[in-house]
Amino acid sequence: MLNAGKALKVSIYISEGSTHHGIATYSSILDFLFYRGVSGATVTKGIAGFGADHHIHTSRSVEISDRLPLKIEFIESRETVNELLGKLEELVGTGMIEVQETTVAKPAQKTNLKHDAPPAHMKIEGKAKMMRIYIGESDRWRDKPLYTALVEAMRANDIAGVTVYRGILGYGAHRRIHRDRPLHLSHDSSIMLSAIDAEEKLQSFMPIVEQMVEEGLIVLSNVDIIKYAYRAEGLDPAEADSSSTDQKTEGEQKQ
Amino acid sequence: MREQFEAKMLRIHFGEGDKWQGKPLHEAIVAKCQELGLANAIVYRGIEGYGASSRIHHSSLWRFSKDAPIMLSIIDREEQINKLLPHLDGMVEEGLIAISSVEVIRLSRTAAKL
Repeated sequence: MLNAGKALKVSIYISEGSTHHGIATYSSILDFLFYRGVSGATVTKGIAGFGADHHIHTSRSVEISDRLPLKIEFIESRETVNELLGKLEELVGTGMIEVQETTVAKPAQKTNLKHDAPPAHMKIEGKAKMMRIYIGESDRWRDKPLYTALVEAMRANDIAGVTVYRGILGYGAHRRIHRDRPLHLSHDSSIMLSAIDAEEKLQSFMPIVEQMVEEGLIVLSNVDIIKYAYRAEGLDPAEADSSSTDQKTEGEQKQ
Repeated sequence: MREQFEAKMLRIHFGEGDKWQGKPLHEAIVAKCQELGLANAIVYRGIEGYGASSRIHHSSLWRFSKDAPIMLSIIDREEQINKLLPHLDGMVEEGLIAISSVEVIRLSRTAAKL
């Protein structure tokens, strides 16, 4: 595991089409680094470039587009890099390897989901709020449907969950009937998004909704959360299945 | 423009096959809501469910069933909702009507009355 401090950054420049023992060179190198326990490596693809042969390779010309430049980078301690260089030189063939001194300010950490406490939104229980947002299916936010943008915004803001419903018939602010007919696919049905989370979470998200929704209704009601179970990523399904499903059950609280 | 106020949410659950005076019940109720000047009414079709009579409502792509569960939702001020209630008694023969209290934030481009 890489620690903060002095380290070496290795950049390997190869051509996309080059192969080593019949498989792509970059993939051989990546496998080699992976099984030698290197803490991380990234392959990036250039869109144009030239190398030792002095041919310009660009993605514009179809016939040589498999010769685009690839760069593989990884950062490791000096000792590890010295161990790896011999084999790497063999693997790169005609490619180039560059090594430079670098400083690791913050090493990457393993994501250890198994022992992580569940995220804050996974712990809601008891009294909560349900937020319903009523909009039209054809409403847009920038370049995408508004309901998609709202779901993405909620996800980004850690709202526990949201479901989008499409009405089959209805009317709203403009007294104009939205109707979903099977033959001519209407794109202006009523859309309802329903999200449940703690009141503070929803209140802090409210300004974002208000800024995104130009026209619509936001409806808040009190609910009791009976159960909110989830399946942690990376957890063995057999261990997780006892009580964890991606299900949410809620009872509406009558006031 | 932004308004915030207390309101009621009325939800009516019945089957897609239910009729009122020869018309699908959900269309009849939506028409009644418009006639009474309620702010909105939206009909949702469930994909599976059962209700008062315990018969399973199913909407299957293969045999286009006309008996899926229907949920009609109306949000308006209490006095507006109360205008509709007497009509529902006659129209909904078999079904469930639920009312809950909600807080509404209404956003509109132009000033309009809910």
